[in-house]
Amino acid sequence: MPAKYLEAEVRQEAGVAVIELRGEIDGFAQEALTAAYEEAEAGRPETVLLDFERVDYINSTGIALIVGLLAKARAAKRRLLACNLSDHYVEIFNITRLSDFMGVYPDRNSALEGAATT
Amino acid sequence: MTEEAPRPEEERKEEGGTREPRDAAYWARYAETLKVSDVPEGAAGINVEGRRAVGPLQGFGKMWQKTYRVRLGGVAVTPAEVIKTWKENYTEFWPEGNRFYAPLAGIAPGEVALISGSLPGGVKLSTGVMVLYADDESFTLMTPQGHPFSGWITFSSFEEDDATAVQAQVLMRANDPLYEMGLRMGGHKMEDEMWRQTLANLAAHFGVHERVETHIICVDPKLQWKEYRNVWHNAGIRSALYSVTAPLRWRRSRGSR
Repeated sequence: MPAKYLEAEVRQEAGVAVIELRGEIDGFAQEALTAAYEEAEAGRPETVLLDFERVDYINSTGIALIVGLLAKARAAKRRLLACNLSDHYVEIFNITRLSDFMGVYPDRNSALEGAATT
Repeated sequence: MTEEAPRPEEERKEEGGTREPRDAAYWARYAETLKVSDVPEGAAGINVEGRRAVGPLQGFGKMWQKTYRVRLGGVAVTPAEVIKTWKENYTEFWPEGNRFYAPLAGIAPGEVALISGSLPGGVKLSTGVMVLYADDESFTLMTPQGHPFSGWITFSSFEEDDATAVQAQVLMRANDPLYEMGLRMGGHKMEDEMWRQTLANLAAHFGVHERVETHIICVDPKLQWKEYRNVWHNAGIRSALYSVTAPLRWRRSRGSR
């Protein structure tokens, strides 16, 4: 059964902190998203990857939360990447111009390769 | 509106025939630049037509998150009813001195609204906003290049402690160095007062006269110096030049008759 609210799990893969997101990213997601990002940051990774494979809803407040994470990552000189966005969410990242500042990859493997080579 | 209008719901299918996510109808479609389809009398689309929409990442100044909130205690009204009222009467809730020309199609994803306002020092300003997102309980406006700030304003309503709350949340950066200076020299205060007054007007519409709470966070204290060229699009400067050159345009139009 799909999660209604956001669940976020942090994994370490190839030196990258991967945050697997599941459910909805809206105003109610702030606590889960912030906690996951702080857990990911604790290992001082150069790159944090947000995996959107199981995200089925994002509203404008949710996009603002991602902007907040991006601001934190840039302040700490970390890269924030995104992967597994559906075509619709790629369009949302383009219209909100998040994609100007975040590397967007089609899947997790290409994102990890991208993190290793750039 | 933006160059590409939202598609009807029945056509909203991704390649492969699967339905798009349920938030798809609420977002504006991607468009490279903004297009003004109708310019009401008294408005000017000069700083909107052909401009790109810009978010809080593209500006020059410090990034701020400003939240203004009021509770509609003691009133039996749902968040959806509040947002419906807000969308339908957006212009009426704005404080005096600024004018918001609502799109003919209303507050709907992709629509563009024009604004006439003034900057600190009395400089007249013609600008606008695009409706980035709109659902039953919230809507978000996104600013164009040249606007005093690059960012989003999200208006929402929700249940909080057995009452309906109303909120405006601005995520913004000054668009260029001149605006950053202006915001520091009274612009922030003017803006805070504007949104507090807007929420107070909305609350008063429902018979509530509560204090509007304000919560301000500096999300990113760094200036983005590489964005200093945004001053080229500065709507304040362009609006002033447009006003100064009005007689020349008038003479030219008479001469061409």
